[in-house]
Amino acid sequence: MEAAANQPLAGTPRARHTSRMQHEAFASTEDFGGTDIAASPTRQARPGQDAPYQHYALGAAYDEMFATDGTARAPYTTLDSRISTLPLEELNRRQQACEQSFLHQGITFTVYSDNRATERIIPTDLFPRIVTATEWERIERGLTQRILALNLFLRDIYSDGRVLKDGVVPRSMIYGSKHYRREMRGLPVPHGAYVNICGSDLIRNERGAFVVLEDNLRVPSGVSYMLANRDVARRAFPGVFRSMNVRPIEQYPLELLATLRSLAPFHDDVSIAVLTPGVFNSAYFEHAFLARQMGVELVEGRDLLVNDNVVYTRTTSGLKRVDVIYRRIDDDFVDPLIFREDSALGVPGLFNAYRAGNVMIANALGTGVADDKAVYAYVPRLIRYYLSEEPILENVETFLCREEKALEHVLANLDKLVVKAVGESGGYGMLVGPHASKAEREEFAEKIKSDPDNYIAQPTIQLSTAPTFVGNGVEARHVDLRPFILHGSETKIVPGALTRVALKRGSLVVNSSQGGGSKDTWVLG
Amino acid sequence: MLSRVADSLYWMSRYIERAEHTARVMAVKLESMIEQTPEDATASWARVIEALTGELSLEPSQDAFLTTRKLAFDHENGAALITSLSMARDNARQVREALSNEVWENLNRLYLRLAPVTMDSIWVHTPARLFREALEDMHALEGVTYSTLSHGEGWYFLELGKHIERAQLLGRLLDVHFRGPRDGSQNTPKYFDWLVLLKFCTAFEPYTKLYTASIRPQKIAEFLLFDPEFPHSIRYSVDRVTDALARVAPGAPPARRAAVERLAGRLKASVDFGQIDELMSGAIAGFLADITRQCEKIHETLYASFITYGAETVL
Repeated sequence: MEAAANQPLAGTPRARHTSRMQHEAFASTEDFGGTDIAASPTRQARPGQDAPYQHYALGAAYDEMFATDGTARAPYTTLDSRISTLPLEELNRRQQACEQSFLHQGITFTVYSDNRATERIIPTDLFPRIVTATEWERIERGLTQRILALNLFLRDIYSDGRVLKDGVVPRSMIYGSKHYRREMRGLPVPHGAYVNICGSDLIRNERGAFVVLEDNLRVPSGVSYMLANRDVARRAFPGVFRSMNVRPIEQYPLELLATLRSLAPFHDDVSIAVLTPGVFNSAYFEHAFLARQMGVELVEGRDLLVNDNVVYTRTTSGLKRVDVIYRRIDDDFVDPLIFREDSALGVPGLFNAYRAGNVMIANALGTGVADDKAVYAYVPRLIRYYLSEEPILENVETFLCREEKALEHVLANLDKLVVKAVGESGGYGMLVGPHASKAEREEFAEKIKSDPDNYIAQPTIQLSTAPTFVGNGVEARHVDLRPFILHGSETKIVPGALTRVALKRGSLVVNSSQGGGSKDTWVLG
Repeated sequence: MLSRVADSLYWMSRYIERAEHTARVMAVKLESMIEQTPEDATASWARVIEALTGELSLEPSQDAFLTTRKLAFDHENGAALITSLSMARDNARQVREALSNEVWENLNRLYLRLAPVTMDSIWVHTPARLFREALEDMHALEGVTYSTLSHGEGWYFLELGKHIERAQLLGRLLDVHFRGPRDGSQNTPKYFDWLVLLKFCTAFEPYTKLYTASIRPQKIAEFLLFDPEFPHSIRYSVDRVTDALARVAPGAPPARRAAVERLAGRLKASVDFGQIDELMSGAIAGFLADITRQCEKIHETLYASFITYGAETVL
């Protein structure tokens, strides 16, 4: 028998060139869902009646997928018919595949109990949440307007304080804030951009309109989960994804890099580093992910040192200068010489190097003063004041107890409102009126009266609901929306967002620390 | 490259090498013990325990089940396979941005697969199989590391960690086989033990290609110490260390680089010009101890020169 002759590589075969660019961020690109050809609907599965939606409850909240009559809204029809025609076991298998992928990539956080550390993944849901082109256009314009106004506000309060002199915002509210950094006064920042990376939390109210719940202007996180969710949702429903003209988001790291570059006073050879608190931080995966995707150094405080107001990294070959730092640690910990002296995460002398203009820091220090709960209530007025425009995105209705009429209203309607202390976060100093007893409300009323400046109140809001896989079917769960805004020499918003999900039935809490998960967000082109 | 990143890469690599060595020794030991008398198996276990943990085991009999648990799955034991893997993964996690996705995911998957393993679950089948499968995964990890990372400075720090660790692990394994028993008993290695030693080092076939199947301790020592081409010989590892040192910290001050390179050169001379017949007359233990000491010295100087140097010395 004749042996097969070994062949040198013949002419380059004509491969079909499909774009893999979108897939490169993650290691494996295998689809979880086979060919996943979207089937034409044979029958309409009704929420609350048919599998897999038997327990899908349509309540007072706006539902992303179903209209009040139980029919799927137009953008969701393809996804709906795919979900209704797949056996439950298949949905379950795809959900497992999503979770496996997160586990293998190390998208986990550590839970400590009984002296044992266990790793849990950040829960991810395989069904995408869909935002139409029209909805997105409004969100994009609204957030651009908002970040412009907030940056003008920060520049103002760290220089002339015109907005305070004009009586638009009370002086005491700003100068009394623990997040106001006197050290920043009169210090110019590139392009007047104090907030370079912002993550704003939007919710959809009962009428279906997107409103802003919160601006995160310090060190917002979650963008890596936005990208990780895209990776798994696309693989869970490849056919649906291809048929829907979903806008890409994979350019985010490039846009972030461009934003950071634009902060340096020169253009060539800008040395950029991501500053992380370290491997024990719950967002460490994200810090490493962004550094890797941008191709810049990931550093900890102990990797940096300042000499003669210049910042260096310690490398095996000696010291190397750093020009721009994307810091993922709070103001308080940045520099023990200026802020908290017990900080082991920061870099002694960093602030002086910053003041000398030898290093740029994103976000600038002191941005937290503009995202507390009281300033939030003023944002619509700030937009009118600085831009002479009407706000495109509304706030959640907010009553400032420091204003007499509002105070009266709040005290008269405590049973319908959520009252929050301005300087607190994480649920401290808060009264949820509808769930509180009469005695608790009366006690809280006294607190408000004794220090009205310190309180704001908002109506209880029903976040919209979206289809979520729960193991034995698909149910409605409350969601919010966190898009990410980049602002350097220009403003860029990647068409996507992190949709956070309150995984417990009926819960409105979407925070990952309290049982929240997340899902992909498809912005349609 | 950041000094901290170099540090983590180096240790990640050392721990992976240690885990692989442990897995291979365990696999071979468990496969071979059925062919030994209980006395020989016990003597052989004692050598394995000492080679892997540095502890001198004086127990009269060795329980294979308990020993395997201790060496492989005891999370409290710093020398256990699972501890090494866990340390490798912790180091890798700290330098995710310096690794490829493939490297991280291979290592992470391997750890997640082995961490929940219990002795009872493997003992009912063929216990060696689990270690064989782990070895396959480790070889895949090694291949992925070779083919998906740029062979730049970071990769050479991985090489340094791997081969400084390997030279010392081999040194320990050779020591317990060649220096004679410490407890004065007559448990010197027998023919079968020499065969097993070659297999511990994945060296059986390469050895027979060079020396035929005639198993002679002196030839084995010569092969595992001085063969320039076999990847699990001490000389091979020393050569890789020397090569790697020429490629790391390219911009470091010449005096610092010279300090490390001088030590590596001395170590290389020791193995390049070592004569096996001089060593076989009782000098091998001293020779191996000297190799280990030189490796430790290189490690210390490497750190002092490139990783933990005082910032004031370069400003």
